Amino acid sequence: MLGTYYYHEIIRKTIISFGTLFNQIYIKHKDGDGDVYSDFRVPLAYGPTQKFLARLEQQADLNKPVQITLPRMSFEMTSISYDSSRKTGVTQSFKSVGDDGKLKKVFMPVPYNIGFELSILSKLNDDALQIVEQILPYFQPSFNITVNLVDSIGEKKDIPVVLDNISFQDDYEGDFSTRRSLIYTLQFTAKTYLFGPIAENTEGLIRKVIVDTYTDTNVATAKREMRYTAVPDPIDAGPSDDFGFSEEWEFFGDSKSYSPTQQSDI
Amino acid sequence: MALNPFFLHGSQAEQRLVQELINEQLRMYGIEIYYIPRKIVRRDSILRELQSSKFDDNFALEAYINTYEGHTGAGDILTKFGMSLRDELTVTISKERFEDFISPFLESMDQEEINITDRPREGDIIYFPLGQRLFEVKFVEHESPFYQLGKTYVYELKCELFEYEDEMGGWDNTNTTTEEIDSLLVNQGYITNLYLYPTGIAATATATIGSGYVQKIFLNNDGYGYTSTPVVSISTSPSGGTNATAVAITTSIGGVDSIKEILLINAGSGYTEAPTISISGGGGTGAAATCGIITDKKGITRISVNGSGGVGYSTVPNVSITLPPLSPQISPQFKAVVSAAGTISEIRIVDAGAGYLSTPTVTVAVGSTVGFGTFWLNEVVTGSISGATARVKTWTESTSILKVGTTKGDFVPGDIIVGSSSYARYSLSGITSERFEDKYEQNDVIEEAADIILDFSEANPFGNY
Repeated sequence: MLGTYYYHEIIRKTIISFGTLFNQIYIKHKDGDGDVYSDFRVPLAYGPTQKFLARLEQQADLNKPVQITLPRMSFEMTSISYDSSRKTGVTQSFKSVGDDGKLKKVFMPVPYNIGFELSILSKLNDDALQIVEQILPYFQPSFNITVNLVDSIGEKKDIPVVLDNISFQDDYEGDFSTRRSLIYTLQFTAKTYLFGPIAENTEGLIRKVIVDTYTDTNVATAKREMRYTAVPDPIDAGPSDDFGFSEEWEFFGDSKSYSPTQQSDI
Repeated sequence: MALNPFFLHGSQAEQRLVQELINEQLRMYGIEIYYIPRKIVRRDSILRELQSSKFDDNFALEAYINTYEGHTGAGDILTKFGMSLRDELTVTISKERFEDFISPFLESMDQEEINITDRPREGDIIYFPLGQRLFEVKFVEHESPFYQLGKTYVYELKCELFEYEDEMGGWDNTNTTTEEIDSLLVNQGYITNLYLYPTGIAATATATIGSGYVQKIFLNNDGYGYTSTPVVSISTSPSGGTNATAVAITTSIGGVDSIKEILLINAGSGYTEAPTISISGGGGTGAAATCGIITDKKGITRISVNGSGGVGYSTVPNVSITLPPLSPQISPQFKAVVSAAGTISEIRIVDAGAGYLSTPTVTVAVGSTVGFGTFWLNEVVTGSISGATARVKTWTESTSILKVGTTKGDFVPGDIIVGSSSYARYSLSGITSERFEDKYEQNDVIEEAADIILDFSEANPFGNY
């Protein structure tokens, strides 16, 4: 029953969109005189990966001389849940025109919340604070990103990314068998939308409407007397654009009829 | 008196003997490690942490590996932050050897940087040559074995693999420790690849010819008070022609700012009579210019610089062009403009010449900057334009790729990269994104993927676009 194949990669796109929010975080280090001697972008990666791949890529040299390079950030998707507060009617649909110019019928997307966790691992509290301070002010408590969720219909949705919680772990107590561990964890919710299958119409978008009126109901013999033509203004407007119409009224006394097959008056 | 005075818990001679035996055993059965002391560069007195450290000395010392069956610790584990190598190591060193051999050196150093000199210190680094790895001392156990003959003879150093940030950046123009140790870190940490040009690359340009063009602009009055570049307006060409455009070059002689010359950017075409030239703006007055046109022959109407405009220009190169074949010929003259990035940004026409039948070939002389020298490990390199600095990690002459770490600022194409110690200098052609060598970082991959799907038409406060 549910077997219509489609894959819009919406969750993947949401992961990418979330991740890119944090790919330009920099930290600076100062020397004893307070002059900056090093500034660099904090590495960011999607945490989950294949174990063998991580080993092959990150530890190609088995005798890697150091434990890890810090600081670094990691993010991962932690939950997917339905958001009933954004529910819309299940039978509502809208039409859209794809890149191919064909009309597509799309049911209203289903609101889902995707939970994310951004983790910051640093050696120094100062490093972590530099990173956190570059992130937090943008979330009040949400930051909106506009994502082209479904490429085939060009549907851009504003997705609020809400900062839900901030916690940090600073394990500095205890014996000296372990080193200090400093991890900040920021939890977010991305309020995204999931689209179902998109019905593709073989016809293109109707851009021109022509209505002929007759003085007789017998259209086999009657000739059109008046023609109403309406086209969107601008002519290349899409269903989601803000557009008006250009209307034209024509009156005829030439006793011709319009042939839909020849698309001309005969 | 509580103790029996007829029994000793170790005389000085016995203690000396034990210490000598231990020293001898360590030198026979131990391995040679390098002890690398941490020097304090910047301390945060509120957060109570060392924000910057340097490691630029090393001391060879014999040590016995307590954990001879292998590393202890959690081993290699995969965390959300990528691979984390939790290997641990415990080594024993002679207390006497440390005090006699290392402590005096530590005492001679700046005591602001070295706060304790008489014992091994937590936070220092051990270079373990068997695995070629760096271990940070987590804990120094000084009472094991526990007071044999009334004294302790060794330090037990409990170590864990070093968490690297940018500490090994050097801080002076000497190598951090030894080449063996420095070479460990050339592929670790935050690395920027700088692609350098060993020699300058000549710009190429294409000429356009036409008739009814402005051959030359004559500056009849250079005016005065032109503190900034005025606008040169040339009356338009008749319908079907191309409008001529020009730019004024100002100069200041004896405190008087005036116009030095007016050069054509585009000599135009289709003019049937000499256009009028007006000069406005720039804060000055009095300048006037006229021009002559040629309608019966073809001359150079424009020189367009192809592509990026070459590499490595520090002075204005000579621009030559095939001479016109028709007689009487008028040889064209040009002036190239060198950008701050060391490229040719524009070629302006001094004299458009006359007598061409077909498009001539333009030749721009090669950039005068020629790269030379070999960069040294850990030396500071500076970009001539950007002022950015970094420490050299590796220099591969065959590919002209310079890997640097501990960067400050952003290098820009056109920078002349100069080594502070080696005095090697090369022109910078391009930069790859900074990255960690261990392939953890995905910043650029994520940004490129997001670039396709995100609409940052207003602004992206987090990114470049």
